[in-house]
Amino acid sequence: MEIRFADCSIHYGETVALHPLDLVLTERRIGVIGLNGSGKTTFARAINGLVKPSRGHVTVNGLDTSEDGPAVLGTVGFIFQNPQNQLILPIVADDIALGLKSRGVAKAEVAARVEGILMRFGIEHLARRRVHALSGGETQLVAMASVLVTEPDILILDEPTNQLDLKNRKRVIDTLAGLDEAAIVVSHDLSLIESFERVLLFHEGRLIADGMPGDVVKAYEAVALC
Amino acid sequence: MLKSLHVEGTTLLHRLSVRTKLAVLFAASLAVFLTVDPFVLGGAVLLSALVFATVGVSFSQAVSRLAWPLVSIGLVAGATAFFETPVHGLVVLFRFATLILLAATVTASTEVGDFMEEITRLMMPFERLGLVNAADIGLALGLVLRFVPEIATRYESLREAHAARGLPVRPLKMLAPLIILTLKDADMIAMAIDARGLRRH
Repeated sequence: MEIRFADCSIHYGETVALHPLDLVLTERRIGVIGLNGSGKTTFARAINGLVKPSRGHVTVNGLDTSEDGPAVLGTVGFIFQNPQNQLILPIVADDIALGLKSRGVAKAEVAARVEGILMRFGIEHLARRRVHALSGGETQLVAMASVLVTEPDILILDEPTNQLDLKNRKRVIDTLAGLDEAAIVVSHDLSLIESFERVLLFHEGRLIADGMPGDVVKAYEAVALC
Repeated sequence: MLKSLHVEGTTLLHRLSVRTKLAVLFAASLAVFLTVDPFVLGGAVLLSALVFATVGVSFSQAVSRLAWPLVSIGLVAGATAFFETPVHGLVVLFRFATLILLAATVTASTEVGDFMEEITRLMMPFERLGLVNAADIGLALGLVLRFVPEIATRYESLREAHAARGLPVRPLKMLAPLIILTLKDADMIAMAIDARGLRRH
């Protein structure tokens, strides 16, 4: 995996959400932390092309997010803060199948891959359940399954443990730890990212610290509690 | 609380193909305009209500699904009765009540996924002519059926929030925050659809 930000900045009208950034990411587990409004979600959304650079480029495995949109979306999966909003169909298995069907995957293969991903996550029993009847943790796991069934190389998770109880939080963390795919996790949950290979700290739209979790978390505390 | 327009079941209507149900609905929507006899149309309303009752929707659910559409039709029928004749008003009321009951029957007995697939298939000839994107139309319809009940849930949350703060619960007062929250949700859903690559570009 290689994600490259080359002189990339992002503006929303007059507001600068991300100041010019040059960065290369190759690690398999990357955490992104920062105060609310620090630019971390904008940074994450820029990786899969949901937000386009106002200047510069973002490339993922050589694909430019501004020019190769559909290919980038196939490479980078995204789980939103409120995963309930990304589950489109009311039945779990139907929703997981939707991403494959829209890519023209044959019916028999769709069924096999849906079954496979449900088993991989240990949620076969949820296949015929309605998405609005799932618990928070189950919703998060189903959202992850619905994205990973299309086999992206990289998964971005925006606050994956937000509003989860301890039991569901552990379930999501365990699942995350077992993922083969590279993962970029945006989080306020500092214990979630403590075992990651690299952590980025954003503040007021700037990357102000980049390194091992312990050092970056100390820098975060200095910024947040000053 | 209304969470889904579909009602699980194994009734004859649940087992009928989506295409058959849509064809019957289409035929009925033409048939009700072939007559202006209020007795015939009144019979059609009764028949539609009986059919609707067979899909397993509870009385309270039926009220929450049908109340607002029927009130809207009532207003239109009232205006027609006022500006034309009472019989004309009754005809309008019966025609649209029949169609709403039949449409509610179709949505209650059909899974959203099946709906989307069938609509996409039906739109394919138009896609081949370069007129539409069939999958996008199927997706748009699916989104409406999936997220309309969410608006009802959102309204309920707002109502509770007002009540918890001791504020009077006035439906009109909640309209603005409801629209804003719904639009915010719609933005997120649109972004999620793009992120999942569900739309053809």
